Amino acid sequence: MHRYVARRLLQMVPTLFGMSLAIFLMVRLMPGDVIDVLTGGDVSITPAQREGIRRTLGLDKPLPVQYLQWVGGMAAGNPGLSLRSHEPVGAILARALPITVELVIIAVVFAVALGIPLGVISASRRESVGDYVARVGGLIGLSMPSFWLATLILLFTSIVFQWIPAVSFVPFLQDPLGNLSQVVIPGISVSVFVIAIVMRMTRATMLEVLSQDYVRTARAKGASRRSVTYHHALRNALIPVVTVVGFQVGTLMSGAAIVEVIFGLPGLGYTLIQAIFARDYPLVQTTTMLLATIFVILNLTVDLLYGVIDPRIRAR
Amino acid sequence: MADHQLTRRELLKRSGLLAGAGLVAPSALLEACGTTTTTSTTSTTPKRGGKVTWALEQDPTYLAPFGGIPTSNHWGNEFMYDSLLQWDKDLNVQNALAESYTTPDDRTYIFKLKQGIKFHNGKELTADDVKYSFDLMANPPLPGSTSYLGQFPAVASTDVVDKYTVKFTMKKPDASMIGFLAWGRYSGIAPVDMYKQLNPVTQGIGTGPMKLVEYVPNDHVTYTRFADFWGKPLPYFDDLVLKVLPDEQARVAALRSGAVDGATVSPDNARVLGKDKNLVVYKGLTAAFREIQFTVKAGEKKPWADRRVRQAISAAINRQDLIDKVYSGDGKYSGFIPPGYGKYPIAASDLVNRYFKFDLNKAKQLMSDAGFSSGFPLTMLSIAQPADMTQAAEVVKEHLQQIKIDVNIVPQMIGEFAKNNGNGSFDVDLTSRGMRGDPNGFVAEFVNNAKLWWPGYEMPPDIAALVAKGIATPQQDQRYPIYTQLQQTLMNELLEIPLVAVYKYQVVTSRLHNMYVAFTDFNTGLRQAWLG
Repeated sequence: MHRYVARRLLQMVPTLFGMSLAIFLMVRLMPGDVIDVLTGGDVSITPAQREGIRRTLGLDKPLPVQYLQWVGGMAAGNPGLSLRSHEPVGAILARALPITVELVIIAVVFAVALGIPLGVISASRRESVGDYVARVGGLIGLSMPSFWLATLILLFTSIVFQWIPAVSFVPFLQDPLGNLSQVVIPGISVSVFVIAIVMRMTRATMLEVLSQDYVRTARAKGASRRSVTYHHALRNALIPVVTVVGFQVGTLMSGAAIVEVIFGLPGLGYTLIQAIFARDYPLVQTTTMLLATIFVILNLTVDLLYGVIDPRIRAR
Repeated sequence: MADHQLTRRELLKRSGLLAGAGLVAPSALLEACGTTTTTSTTSTTPKRGGKVTWALEQDPTYLAPFGGIPTSNHWGNEFMYDSLLQWDKDLNVQNALAESYTTPDDRTYIFKLKQGIKFHNGKELTADDVKYSFDLMANPPLPGSTSYLGQFPAVASTDVVDKYTVKFTMKKPDASMIGFLAWGRYSGIAPVDMYKQLNPVTQGIGTGPMKLVEYVPNDHVTYTRFADFWGKPLPYFDDLVLKVLPDEQARVAALRSGAVDGATVSPDNARVLGKDKNLVVYKGLTAAFREIQFTVKAGEKKPWADRRVRQAISAAINRQDLIDKVYSGDGKYSGFIPPGYGKYPIAASDLVNRYFKFDLNKAKQLMSDAGFSSGFPLTMLSIAQPADMTQAAEVVKEHLQQIKIDVNIVPQMIGEFAKNNGNGSFDVDLTSRGMRGDPNGFVAEFVNNAKLWWPGYEMPPDIAALVAKGIATPQQDQRYPIYTQLQQTLMNELLEIPLVAVYKYQVVTSRLHNMYVAFTDFNTGLRQAWLG
């Protein structure tokens, strides 16, 4: 197992290197000159002033040099300064990351707590009213864009209850209740889609597992319905569900951006969107790299979880 | 299809506003939940105390006072810093930190400071602080940008005469000095060595009515009342929170719920929110008028190199139709200096009935005289966001079809648009102007940009002469006829075609009194507002 983990960690190195290169180049290929964005397109600035700004920002250096400086900075824990605010990128991300992580955790907790039981009920009571309701609900959940749902919830609570979550973000450690009142509704907004996916995946895999010979054998041996469903079937059905949840966690890290903007939560996605508009190269690159790294780590974690869920995989 | 007129509804559909039901429909649907006619509960006696939360559309990015390019930068720091002068809501110049000023000759300004003014750190304001600040304005450190220097007056040196007197020596006569100071966007005064004492990105010390508590980028700026403010009894409220809420529906929801006391919204949402009895809608013109710009380059022989074609284009544009379709009927004709900019703009009646009168027959005749009666194709760049820019381009396209000009609209992101605009890489564009500290800022490009935008055009010499005369005339009352004459000349040449000035809408809760929409595009009205 240790060798397996070590091998997977080693495999991350070329993956991250390739990603950093791709991210760096793609950011540089974005249309629009950062100097024009920074100067608001002021036509009165002279070419000398433009070059002066470019030099100040270190953008006059050859691309390979800029790339190495960025990668070297990241390795040393200092990925540079924001081109717009000149605040350290690390400080900006340290502020934004916990907000997004909290949002994603809430979304995943909802998704797992609701999606798996619904999927199990739907599969074990196939073609029942409950199954139909869950399936239709799943389809609706999949069809509703989270930004639309978020906007609807926000307007609904503001008009009907004259209430919306507090507008200035409060960290959890500072005011746990205040913090939760701020992030639960955005968390639900982004979780609906994931609940639907988890429910549908759980149902599909449960149906497949429930038709397996060993389940029939368990039933023939007189195991209770509950034991068959939860002990024999669900555990085996969870492997693809864990994969989906892991994938969704990675997707939500950046995918919650629009919901963050709608609720005014300055998380990672929100920060990334603002940085892209501003062509803030160091911030865009580092945020994207951070998200990509989280994605890779999540994939690894999911692979390792397989072994926990199914000891046969661990044994191999 | 020349007969087909775009309706406002079609225009909205085309730009995806109605199709994007996710954004518009919720507010329209939920509107049915109950609103009543707006009533304002204005009382005349200001009250002290309370906390105001105001929603900003964008993050200030940084609070540094010198050379800040984003408009939102000044949204974030305008309550912290003061300048030597200030504008009132009608752009009349008033003293702020200055007690008085004199201009002994056309290259010298001498300012006497009010005595006893305190910075937020308790230090007294002196001429040394003014010199320190002006030296940094002339060479703004990061995160400021030298690119704003096109708006910085021709200050050659700043000298301390005594503790409360400062002298500015100009490189040349430059009347823009007064407007630069009164606008205040780039001319806030900070204490000596402030940049050494703190991080100007997130901190600051000024003489303004509010003292900074904290700035959390992308989230909020919090201020508290500065008890020693020189402009007492202002400010009236105790605390001010500027919350960054980029999503308009979020601002609408926050206004409805009372989570914020005020915000800027679109005309459509302002109309909806105006029916809420707890909210009051304010509107006001800003300097961001819309206009068409042409380039005329040597050797290209574009049709619009002929003045008559440009005049035909202007005559074929029905500005009222543009206002009705894109701006819900709320807008004004604009000249080169926008309506609302003090006494400098051309009278509205002259714009409507004379200079920019919609006259299709005249337009067709001019096209015929220029040899283009069968029309020509034209590519027009527009700005993708805000959406009204491209909507306006669509209406202009429809108008120009009447004189057989086939317009191909190319919406671009602001960065790309600004780049093309800046280096003259466009034939025609439809753009938005912005606030300037001095009327010269609206016309200076006819001299400064002439080689870049119109190198193939023989510019009438009186344009450059009038621009030079305007900036060299320090007496404001003597400048009005100069800029009137200059605008009249420009309206004959029409190398740029001003279209319409649009309104800005701010919605506040009924407990916030004495607010106004500032022409400058900042939230200056909050300085005098109070909570009832």
